[in-house]
Amino acid sequence: MKSATLLLSLGGVAAVLTGFLVFGGLGDNLTYYLTPTEAVDQRDDFADGRRFRLAGDVQPGSVVEAEDGLEFVVADGGEAVRVLHDGLPPQLFSEGIEVVVEGLWEDDVFMSYTMLVKHDEEYYPPSEEASP
Amino acid sequence: MNPAADAPVTTDTGSAGYVRRTSLWARAATGAMTAAVFMIVVAPPDRLQGDVQRLLYVHVPTAWLAYLAFAVTLLGSAAWLATRRQRWDRLAAASAEVGVVFTGLTLALGSIWGKPVWGVWWTWDPRLVTTALLFFVYLGYLALRRATIDPVLRARRSALLGIVSFIQVPVIHFSVVWWRTLHQPATVLRPSAASMAPSMLAALFASLAAFTLIYVVLLRTRIRLLTLEELAEARTAERPVAGDDVRPVAVAGGTSDG
Repeated sequence: MKSATLLLSLGGVAAVLTGFLVFGGLGDNLTYYLTPTEAVDQRDDFADGRRFRLAGDVQPGSVVEAEDGLEFVVADGGEAVRVLHDGLPPQLFSEGIEVVVEGLWEDDVFMSYTMLVKHDEEYYPPSEEASP
Repeated sequence: MNPAADAPVTTDTGSAGYVRRTSLWARAATGAMTAAVFMIVVAPPDRLQGDVQRLLYVHVPTAWLAYLAFAVTLLGSAAWLATRRQRWDRLAAASAEVGVVFTGLTLALGSIWGKPVWGVWWTWDPRLVTTALLFFVYLGYLALRRATIDPVLRARRSALLGIVSFIQVPVIHFSVVWWRTLHQPATVLRPSAASMAPSMLAALFASLAAFTLIYVVLLRTRIRLLTLEELAEARTAERPVAGDDVRPVAVAGGTSDG
């Protein structure tokens, strides 16, 4: 009987841990980020300063230095969103790369507090480019 | 029931066994050094990430070993349920321990890679969360093994957990396909050809081979240790315990005929 109790409590701990990881940390974030098109469509859901993640390609030519950070446009082919990022970008940040920014809507601008650079699964030396 | 009864315990303490074990370690070390030359000298730096990308040559093999180790635990667990032979339980237990170590290494190396490239040590990305979950579940497996004393009961419970837990491995592998993640999808284990320069792929395969050899050495060493532990326990059970030799003292000039 004692071992059954033990097994039950172990199972309980595992269930709580799983619950925390899935619903606590991950929560709505099972959709880890929204695309610019979805973000614009669901603007009303995120009106009250609710934070979310936004991912898109940094549009070439859109990056300008701003006070305490930089400003650029991310797009996914559909909508384009102007992002104001507070702070320094990660080392790999460049025009054309895909970024995930965490922040909130402020009018039509997405205020970003954390920026993550998404890199692809292709690895080549500097001279070679991806060629199938 | 005597746990060692059905297991032909081979301690392998002779000099031949020692030589064989040492040469296995030597081969693993040679493999590791060869792989190191490949990943440091032969492979070029990446066009975007530069030298940081070389972390791939250790991060991917540790993840692969976690998958492999838990697959071996699955096989050992299933084989124990089918045959009830102690050796399969030992295989499952040893492989799970090695797997937990490599899962932890995968998380740590991934974190070290994530900071310079992504910009963060950790994010609640489905790939990362499911991998952390894998780590905790198999830590739970090891805890269950420590918590159950009876060897047969322990083998049965851990066999069930060892089988059920494996479902996480395919989920983790496909997490980057099923959900939106920050983590990039697979470079090699995917339907189309590997998207990597050939020299980089060579370094990756050299490293995968070396790490797999290290896994084999660690697994064998751990199984041997488990076998020796069981043997020691069996011997302890046969040995007289303290107090066995103590006899009631006959008091001289007892009172009975007094």
